[in-house]
Amino acid sequence: MSSAEQHGISVDVDHNPYLAEGTGTVDAIVSITADVQASAAPDRVEAIIIDCSTSMQAPIGKFDAAKRAAAAAIMEIVDGTYFTIVDGTEKAASVYPKEGLARANTETKAAAMRAVDGLRPHGGTAMGTWLAHVRGIVGQRKGAIIHAILLTDGKDEHETPEELGQEIGLAEGEFTCDCRGVGTDWEVDELRAISTALLGTVDIVADPEDLADDFASMMKESMGKSIPDLTLRLWTPAGATVEFVKQVAPTVEDLTHRRVDAGNQSGTYPLGSWGAEDRDYHIQVAVEPAAVGREKLAARVSVVAGEEVLGEGLVKAVWTADTALSAQISRRVAHYTGQAELAQAVQEGLSARKSGDEKTATAKLQRAMELAVESGNDGTAKLLGRVVEVDERTGTVQLRRDVAAADEMALDARSTRTARVRKES
Amino acid sequence: MTEAYCPECETVVRRADRFCEGCGASLTEARRVAIPRHEQSADTPCTDCGNAAAFDEYCNVCGHRREEPDRDEATLGPIVLVTDRGIEHPHNEDAAAAGALVSTGTERPDSIAVAVCDGVSSSAGAHLAAVAASKAGVDAMLAAIVASKKSRAAMLAGLAAAAAAAASAGTESASAPSCTYTAAIVAWTADGAQITVGNVGDSRAYWLPEPPAAAQQLTVDDSLAQELITAGASADSDAVQRGAHTLTRWLGADSDPEPWSESSVQTTTVVGPGTLLLCSDGLWNYLPDAADIARFCSGTDPGAAARALTEFALNAGGQDNITVVVIPIGGAS
Repeated sequence: MSSAEQHGISVDVDHNPYLAEGTGTVDAIVSITADVQASAAPDRVEAIIIDCSTSMQAPIGKFDAAKRAAAAAIMEIVDGTYFTIVDGTEKAASVYPKEGLARANTETKAAAMRAVDGLRPHGGTAMGTWLAHVRGIVGQRKGAIIHAILLTDGKDEHETPEELGQEIGLAEGEFTCDCRGVGTDWEVDELRAISTALLGTVDIVADPEDLADDFASMMKESMGKSIPDLTLRLWTPAGATVEFVKQVAPTVEDLTHRRVDAGNQSGTYPLGSWGAEDRDYHIQVAVEPAAVGREKLAARVSVVAGEEVLGEGLVKAVWTADTALSAQISRRVAHYTGQAELAQAVQEGLSARKSGDEKTATAKLQRAMELAVESGNDGTAKLLGRVVEVDERTGTVQLRRDVAAADEMALDARSTRTARVRKES
Repeated sequence: MTEAYCPECETVVRRADRFCEGCGASLTEARRVAIPRHEQSADTPCTDCGNAAAFDEYCNVCGHRREEPDRDEATLGPIVLVTDRGIEHPHNEDAAAAGALVSTGTERPDSIAVAVCDGVSSSAGAHLAAVAASKAGVDAMLAAIVASKKSRAAMLAGLAAAAAAAASAGTESASAPSCTYTAAIVAWTADGAQITVGNVGDSRAYWLPEPPAAAQQLTVDDSLAQELITAGASADSDAVQRGAHTLTRWLGADSDPEPWSESSVQTTTVVGPGTLLLCSDGLWNYLPDAADIARFCSGTDPGAAARALTEFALNAGGQDNITVVVIPIGGAS
């Protein structure tokens, strides 16, 4: 196990502390940077869930590509890691090892690849049971970095949405999960519900041939994590309301409802496992206004591992009569407010398009395009360009008539990716 | 007259002696005060919400920053020091310190050293520079006097120590904290009180004798306005008014290593009664004429004079932090 001292965590607060008389809304961008040094390898657990429903048979080659992807991921598992391969249908079954977890080495990895090669499509789809199966196995290694990869090609059909929701809730905090949909017959919202709750990523792999590369890079990324669980602890003054806590880079993830009360005017929010990386959070707190000239601590942001505080940042508020000071908006607060609005506009626009409300869809996607271009979010702008057509002259937007399903799903799945603005030094 | 004894070996000593003839122990005691005093006790309740749990900078219930008192006042023997935040500035970035060397068995000081510093608002952490410079200046002056240095040498030692202290204060901030420094040393001689002043920046020292003798400013500002006046411009001219607060010399990491002008160190011998007064520009902005300041000091006790002057500056607008140090100088000893 690695110890916390080996990790340098820095917390930077970027905001305009000046508030106009009588106001109390404080916005801050909190950047957390983990500087992870080479240290004793932490305990790791990997679970690879392969959708083995009969739909995986078509088109020809899809299931073989899924098997090659699983093999590519197994190749990337670092020796010593505990792992399991799960066959997912309307039930879930361990493919390798037959029970519990295997410890990765040349032999076990080769045996796992042989077992994967022997899989055949044979049933339905119930992702909740897959999560439950993984939860049952990994529970024996609490405290480790536990990560799952979930691959599916279709909708969750053999259980109710409530059953899935319940299983997602039970898996929260037990392991992180990256979700991938192959082809275009799966639901972005469904996989996003899993990846968001389990602090992972979601994406479409339209062409099965691309699966192997994607799985390998996902596993490599996971092997780079070395801090099992970080928690953000937020102290606010008496009478304050936490309006929201959102991760805003690299992707938008609303953590507001993930708060767990920690007493002493504090709440904690899960940040998942970390490698050497930095993430930005947008925190909005409404505090009781103080008199002009006074200063108040609007929030104390701590990054905590277990009970140990690894880093801390202070969000201060100063009341002033000088409107030139209070009217300023931090450049990064403005930018990330725009990025969150962009993600929402894309999702709402696509949802309206699906339900046939072209007017709303056009308005939302036009707004999204403006935000994407203005903020330099080229990735989202490019994906939007495949769904809407922009009149070069007027700047107005029209829905394209012939949109490939894969393009629409890619835009949806990647809508939360944000363009980053670094702190000015 | 009662006899004085060495505090170490109880040998009878003469009042003029600095060291015991018997054991060599120092017979002078250095007393010091410095304002504003920031060291509020961490376990006093929060003045905003009443939270009684201990906290340092921010209340851990209501989040308010501990409010610094608007005014701090201290005395050292007959010397009275007052510093006030004023009206417009959110924080007090002025500081003042005073020290006295008192011989064993007496109460009246042999020598006094005083310093007033005004943190330059355009620099972050200016108050740190002001506090550090004023304390370091007074300590160095006292040490030099104890080592039998002449007043001029003691003044220069104080300037050097203050400059070094300001330069290293608050080095974690991006902009270099800086401040003014105006100091005075008073030594009593057979002829009267010998006053030595020295300054960097635009805090001032005045000699305010009881009327009819004329009040006079002892220091010359290191400001653009003063340079223009020296060059022949009228004190009322626009150029002088605009440059009134632009400093040409200051203490801080971004100043010269020896930012003082040697000609700023001046010694005069005065015969009391009267008042030596040091102040920051938060006061003299509203009372630029020495005679006007003198009227507040004539015939009153030093505490009342210092408070009345501070109140006058507050009532006049309190645009800046106000610091006043009043040192009564009695008649010939």
